[in-house]
Amino acid sequence: MALDRYEWLGRLAGRIPDDALVMSTYIGAVSFEWAHHTEEHHRSAHLGQMGDVIGLALGLALALPHRKVVCLDGDGSVLMELGQLVAMGEQQPGNLVVFVVDNGVYESIGWSSQGRRPTATAGQVDLAAIAAGCGVPYTVDVTAEDELDAEMDLAFSRDVCSFINVRTRPGHSHVRPRRTDGIEDKYRFVRYVERLEGIWITGVPPQDIALMKGKEH
Amino acid sequence: MAMTAAALDAAHDGLRAAGIDFVSGLPDGWQRPLHERVELDPDIRYVPVCNEGVGFSICSGAWLGGKKPALIMENSGIRVASEYIARISLGTGVPVTLLCSYRGDVGETEHWGIPHGIVAEPLLQALRIKYLIVRHVEDLAKSIVRAKRIAEAQLHPAAVLVSGDCVWED
Repeated sequence: MALDRYEWLGRLAGRIPDDALVMSTYIGAVSFEWAHHTEEHHRSAHLGQMGDVIGLALGLALALPHRKVVCLDGDGSVLMELGQLVAMGEQQPGNLVVFVVDNGVYESIGWSSQGRRPTATAGQVDLAAIAAGCGVPYTVDVTAEDELDAEMDLAFSRDVCSFINVRTRPGHSHVRPRRTDGIEDKYRFVRYVERLEGIWITGVPPQDIALMKGKEH
Repeated sequence: MAMTAAALDAAHDGLRAAGIDFVSGLPDGWQRPLHERVELDPDIRYVPVCNEGVGFSICSGAWLGGKKPALIMENSGIRVASEYIARISLGTGVPVTLLCSYRGDVGETEHWGIPHGIVAEPLLQALRIKYLIVRHVEDLAKSIVRAKRIAEAQLHPAAVLVSGDCVWED
């Protein structure tokens, strides 16, 4: 039996560690509902798009190996670039947990009297099995709510690179779209990471400003 | 055929001088020695990929986590990565330095390299990526440093295309 997306994203929002970082999709229902549940918390980077969300999360996890990184992706996006799973399986960062909202359809493009357009996971494709075949250490295909709660607790209580595919019912919750674009989302996430980690990502670092002041021009 | 020993040293020196501490890439015949060298560099995290688009995504995520990333690839990889360069950087802006073999440049010996040479520069221009073509070894290190510098200033990739005396000793 498939799960309700809005509901399970809400439970995930209540369970992730306070100091975790999140790489989410950029537009679409997953992003909008996640932003709604988390009140647009700046720990979430709504920067991923079709085919690059796991890659972005993987890079972030490798850059900050002490920090739990949660990735929220959709089945259509994962299917667009399966090479991401190869890299995830090869690198296996223990701080990375990927959740896939697998509803078996291209939800965000709308639908007609013929229904929603299916993704390949509506047929024979099993994303968790593909991830396992790529070498991801822990993979699971979740179909029940109590099972998902246990998987969330497990994922956040240990350091094992994990791919959690959640079979989800199609359907909109009518949460309003987000207002910001990628530029604003980037800056607010980068500033959050800078404060959280005590690092400098954009602009001239303070120590370099001190050096510049000491230079004769 | 691979990059010359002098070009290898210059490329590695350039990456280090630029402060690059995170490299992703897919090896090609010319820059294979550089991948081997970078993989052994304790100051650089090396992440091999099977697809340059995935490499660009990984580099972008690493930058969001504070790393200074570079993507090393053949220029054919620009075509593969272009989807994610457009999605991520034209919409968001991330400074990934691209270090590319310039297959199909004047002097090319292989027929299959010609299409790579035809597409590379127009594609970089379409993606609004500034680039330097390096055909002399003595220009390689400083070009990498300069490419990384403008990438950070504009928060968008900049590229170095490597060819000429960096590869051929004719």
